[in-house]
Amino acid sequence: MYFAGIDIGSTFTKVVVVDSNGNIVSKIEVPTRAEQRKLANKVMVEALNKSNLSLDEIAYIVATGYGRFNVPFADRQVTELTCHARGINSIFPSVKTAIDIGGQDSKGLKVKDGKLVNFVTNDKCAAGTGRFLEVMADLLNLKVEDLGKISLKSTKKVKISSICTVFARYEVMTKISENIPIEDVIAGLHYAIADRIIRMVSRIGIEPDVAVTGGVAKNVGVIRAIEDLLGYKVLVPEDPLITGALGAAIIGKNIVEEALKRGEVIKRGPRRLEEVTFYW
Amino acid sequence: MKSSFFMGIDIGVGTSKGVIINEEEEIVAYHILPSGFNYKLAAQKLLGELLGKAGLTMENLSYTVATGQGSPSVNFANEEVTDIVCCARGINKVFPSVRTVIDLGEQTSRVIHVDESGRVANFMISEKCAGGSGYILRVVANVLRVKLEDLGPLSLKSEKPVSFTTRCAVFAETEIVSMVAEGFQKEDIVAGIHKALADKIFDLINRIGLKEPCAIVGGGGCDTGFVKRLKEKLGKEILIPPQPQIIMALGAAIIGKKKFLSG
Repeated sequence: MYFAGIDIGSTFTKVVVVDSNGNIVSKIEVPTRAEQRKLANKVMVEALNKSNLSLDEIAYIVATGYGRFNVPFADRQVTELTCHARGINSIFPSVKTAIDIGGQDSKGLKVKDGKLVNFVTNDKCAAGTGRFLEVMADLLNLKVEDLGKISLKSTKKVKISSICTVFARYEVMTKISENIPIEDVIAGLHYAIADRIIRMVSRIGIEPDVAVTGGVAKNVGVIRAIEDLLGYKVLVPEDPLITGALGAAIIGKNIVEEALKRGEVIKRGPRRLEEVTFYW
Repeated sequence: MKSSFFMGIDIGVGTSKGVIINEEEEIVAYHILPSGFNYKLAAQKLLGELLGKAGLTMENLSYTVATGQGSPSVNFANEEVTDIVCCARGINKVFPSVRTVIDLGEQTSRVIHVDESGRVANFMISEKCAGGSGYILRVVANVLRVKLEDLGPLSLKSEKPVSFTTRCAVFAETEIVSMVAEGFQKEDIVAGIHKALADKIFDLINRIGLKEPCAIVGGGGCDTGFVKRLKEKLGKEILIPPQPQIIMALGAAIIGKKKFLSG
């Protein structure tokens, strides 16, 4: 039996298919665009093709992320917090605190036995989200995925005193005009985002082991800054983007297993997978 | 006897303002220009153009006070005074009865309680978030391709302002782009931003309370759309000086005059 999780985030859409042992069979990551329904169908077809499966062979599909209601073929919608907790528990069972830094939001989760026990989120302010780094990469005419590597060359990070992304942007412009090396400015930005997130997650208490997920977790500079501020190492999954989608797939697997155990019929959604080739 | 003149220079994040007054505290000339990225250059340019407008030279100036974010860059000033003190002094000259002054600047918003002698009694500053400052007006003007000074009249046309899910200037930019794509009217979007900003300023006012009468200064005072929404939110009248942007520079000039005359 196979199970799929689809996570429509603000910046990336992710699909994970797992088998009955919970092992990942295939995974897809694409940028989220407008017309999420069509996008959801397209990525699901891709994931099925990649794993050589048909839609009927997927026992259960769970949708998550802020676009989870735009998945017409999902059997159930589950919040991203629950899915993240489950996902991180399956990757790193020792983790008690998970920090997820997405494209437009960030969250802190306390996890116990794979269940979410407390959380804190920010989707009100761009500071402390991937958007902060995107704005800066744009200003510096760099790719956001290169920031981490560049910052490692820094010998003397600058202090960014503004919290607000807009004001920090002005600050960066001033620093650049003062001929401060770009790597020192970027390193300063990484500490700024790390500091913002740690302050937020501290409200629920940070307990090791700590895992960092989400797109920003791919930035080695941010991870180093977080580790430096916390004073210990953090865990980063090999593929930090898919934690939510993986958790969604595993939740689907658990639902089916429970139903089978009780001898119940599995309730599925209508599974409408519309024709999608036309749109791309 | 040769008459004395006094100059106040306010180098703000967005615009630089200069005022020259005479011994009677009457405004002889004022000038406003964009600050750009080099405050020193802005200050020099402002000095030249202001003196030109007043028909004066450096020798006629008895005392110069600099204020604002870029005040350390005004190397021809006799003294620097904080913007809050200058703001209170300036509004007291224009409207002696005002007890609360709201300053909506490019980067910082302030609410200041002023006593009857023009001194600061209490104040509250918001400088951490662009969503609560005049910057967000620049964002909306930019995305909608409307001039900053046209936002007010445009906003007044709106009958149903949009509501924003965010107060963050960065996220608001994205939201405005989607609203344009969804076919919302420009005036409703602008009025929505004015409303959101008025809400934020209202929160700031509530932290120290409102003492009547109140006035608004800074770039925000020039935006009729924002002023309308703030009036609605407060349920009170708000006084607006004829030139809301130059109040701090005026206050700086008056402080300079008092310093000079008291020796």
